[in-house]
Amino acid sequence: MKDSTLRDKKLSTISKVTLIIIWIVLSELIDNQVIFPTIKSTIKSLMEIVKSPNFIKIITSSILRSLWGFLICLFFAILIGILSSISKFVYNMMIPILNFLSSVPTMAIIILALIWLHNELVPVFVGFIMVFPILYETVQKGIFNVDKKILEMCKLYKVNKLTIIRDIYIPSIFINISAIFDSALNTNLKMVIAGEALSQPRFAIGSNLQIEKMYLNTSGVFAWIIIILLISKLLSYITKTVKRFTKINKWM
Amino acid sequence: MKYRVSNICKSYGDLKVLDNISIDFPENKTTCIMGPSGCGKSTLLNIIAGILDMDSGEVEGFNDETISFVFQEDRLIEWKSVADNLRLVLKGKMDKRDIETIIDRYLESVNLKEYKNYYPRDLSGGMKQRISILRAFIYPSKVLIMDEPFKSLDINNKHIVMEFLKNLKDREKRTCILVTHDVEEAIALGDRIVVLSHKPSRVRKVIDKPCIYDKKDEYKVYIKSQIEDILMG
Repeated sequence: MKDSTLRDKKLSTISKVTLIIIWIVLSELIDNQVIFPTIKSTIKSLMEIVKSPNFIKIITSSILRSLWGFLICLFFAILIGILSSISKFVYNMMIPILNFLSSVPTMAIIILALIWLHNELVPVFVGFIMVFPILYETVQKGIFNVDKKILEMCKLYKVNKLTIIRDIYIPSIFINISAIFDSALNTNLKMVIAGEALSQPRFAIGSNLQIEKMYLNTSGVFAWIIIILLISKLLSYITKTVKRFTKINKWM
Repeated sequence: MKYRVSNICKSYGDLKVLDNISIDFPENKTTCIMGPSGCGKSTLLNIIAGILDMDSGEVEGFNDETISFVFQEDRLIEWKSVADNLRLVLKGKMDKRDIETIIDRYLESVNLKEYKNYYPRDLSGGMKQRISILRAFIYPSKVLIMDEPFKSLDINNKHIVMEFLKNLKDREKRTCILVTHDVEEAIALGDRIVVLSHKPSRVRKVIDKPCIYDKKDEYKVYIKSQIEDILMG
């Protein structure tokens, strides 16, 4: 069953309202702003953050860091994904690297990144190591899952190799990437913010989350979480608009 | 005879599939190849198309010829429109303007022009197979090979697509080879019917169209039952 056929706006709204009710009830029951802030104090913190002079600079820095990191990741995933599908050597060279990335705890790699890299680069690197394997495997899937019968048809009709690459392989790669683009972009954003919290670049959402935690300002942490959710929503909206504008999935 | 296979033998390991198969394919006519399932009909087609090597024998006329194909499935690319699917097989074989002219002319001639920008998912199974057949006719070939093209269609769509194929066949001069397991299909479309035996396959019977159509209905029934007897083994 398709995700879109299961989606129900009413039920989704009920779920959101239920979460807000749980928030209100828990904050009333716990009655401790440090452990669980109320909606009111969170909104107050949110307004203070938004009004602060560096707010725009902070969120644009994090978004740009996340976006250019993602683009670098996408570029390498496509390049190495294609190379590994045509070269046995590259394919086998990538196996231990991917195994390493999937089995070594992310925190261990982040710690190494903190030692080796400039604090501006750490968040991008953290995003890269999390998202690269996903994009790389998607590119490979796009190549390996091309219907063999379609390729046989092209061979019998003597379709030249360049046309097969341009009209079959490349669209297949992009169709597969477009299916996970939104979730990969948001995973990257989350990881970049996690990296920022540890490496503390000057203007960054993650750095501010860490500062709010240090001052035990939990409502500030909640407020930043709301801002991150809104940015994530905005990225999803932009992705959908671009997909609609480029008509990439109009055949689906 | 321009197109012919002589003494074709093919084995997969110890399993002999084709045993001394010789068939003449009359030019611009349709030869139907029938046989029990698994008797090596598709193997024979692949040998004729040059995508499978034979153990011994000779293929005449097909080697230097451009060949079109219709498969059991439509084999349309789902992210390409009908027109783009047709363009794909013509790219590099003629200039762009000619490609557009040919596509428009063919789509118009079979009343499918309105579907030009449709995607395969918007078409029914029968319509997709019609586009697949049209692709085979648009392709500048002299030989058309069809491997059970109606197999995946329901009875209604099958008759529609068969009519569609007949119309195109009447208009265009092509040497067609049609593999089928359906006797009615073979009688309706074939100018010559070649019946193969069980593995290792040999040619059991060759029936020419005049033999079927010039005789009385009882004779047709007799031919049909004879073919069915061979197919049932």
